[in-house]
Amino acid sequence: MGLPLELMPEEAQVLVDKKVSYIADDATFHPARLATFDEPSRRAYVQSLKNEGKRMQIAVIESNNRNKPNPHEGKSKKKKREPKEQEDLSTDHLVGGDNEADESSRLFDSSPTPRKSINIGEVEGYALTPTTSSFLLPTLPDSELEHSATVDVPVSYPLFAHLHDKGYYMMPGLRFGCDYNVYPGDPLRFHSHFVAVHFGWDEEITMMDLVGGGRLGTSVKKGYLFGGAVADGSDAEETSDRHGVSRDDKSEQPKLKGGLVAPPVRTFCLEWAGM
Amino acid sequence: MQAEFGAWSSSRPEYIAMAEVNHGQQLADTVLDNLKYQHDWTELQVLTHSPTNSQPLVRPMISGLPPRRLYVHPDDQIAMVKSSAVPNGKMFDTPEVEWVLPTHISEKWTLKAFAAVFDSLPAQLSPHPERPKRIVLATIHADSTIVYYLIHDGIVKPRQN
Repeated sequence: MGLPLELMPEEAQVLVDKKVSYIADDATFHPARLATFDEPSRRAYVQSLKNEGKRMQIAVIESNNRNKPNPHEGKSKKKKREPKEQEDLSTDHLVGGDNEADESSRLFDSSPTPRKSINIGEVEGYALTPTTSSFLLPTLPDSELEHSATVDVPVSYPLFAHLHDKGYYMMPGLRFGCDYNVYPGDPLRFHSHFVAVHFGWDEEITMMDLVGGGRLGTSVKKGYLFGGAVADGSDAEETSDRHGVSRDDKSEQPKLKGGLVAPPVRTFCLEWAGM
Repeated sequence: MQAEFGAWSSSRPEYIAMAEVNHGQQLADTVLDNLKYQHDWTELQVLTHSPTNSQPLVRPMISGLPPRRLYVHPDDQIAMVKSSAVPNGKMFDTPEVEWVLPTHISEKWTLKAFAAVFDSLPAQLSPHPERPKRIVLATIHADSTIVYYLIHDGIVKPRQN
């Protein structure tokens, strides 16, 4: 997937919680940031774009060389021969004497010459259209990250964060009448495993919702998963986590990068018993 | 009738507790009959206390033996398919004792209540103590229809059916 990328509010919040990204308000950030640019920083910015363009082109050339070893070898053999013929002509005209030694030395020189080393000097660099504003950004110290704009996440966020932490991938749940459609990985590779619905710890669950959800889930070969954040402090020791997806994963609540601990979440899975 | 009783008893806490006990007991009796006569379960008994530490259960539950294996974990299903030595899933032909939680369709449950039910159940009763606990959720309708669902304490991937 490329940039720009539209994320669900929950996905954005997970990234912020893990302290690997922060939210900037596009509409206010760009005018404010661009207004502070003076001539040297403008030039530095343009230069950084050029450098990036060069870097990209070199990377493309290198990967091309790496990906096609056989045609490249064929080409270099051809190349080896061509200069030889040219050499013959030119040396005949110019000297005519020790052309044999000259030719062999030229041959010796040209054979190990890699094509890319010639190209690197000639690289003009691609003209880049940046997909992000990362070149515009000053490198922020960690404390600045705290000033991230807030995300308006739905109440079901704790369930999302919990499942995300277990390695699941969530898609919007409208198609199955739930909060999230839960995939065990890439949604293009797998069918989803669960139809997930969030409830508050003390929120009333209508039995008919469980019966209907469980039956729908089973008939589309999914489990009906319902859960939410554990609210009472004493019971924060969640037992469901001990039997997570991967049974060898006995780790406790995931410690996030910033030392934060994800709220304990308890989940239940429902399947039709077939009787 | 239930609703009328509820309104009448709401000002008298001592009756609510009693009603709760009766409600749970009645549901358990109905579900037990259904399991026995419609689904051919055996070794049925109503349990009000945990068999290991004799702590009271949240509400009376039923343990019993279904005529066939009720649930095969997807990992076991995969293992079964892979091992051609055991044809037609004979490996999982022996039934396991199931625990059934009787509920009524008009009830309102919470995550907290389900958590309490699972926490009151001893893990060592399960034939697979390393897997999440699993019970059978029986829901009774006023017209005497009963539906049965498997409920797992945690994230358990669905069966391949």
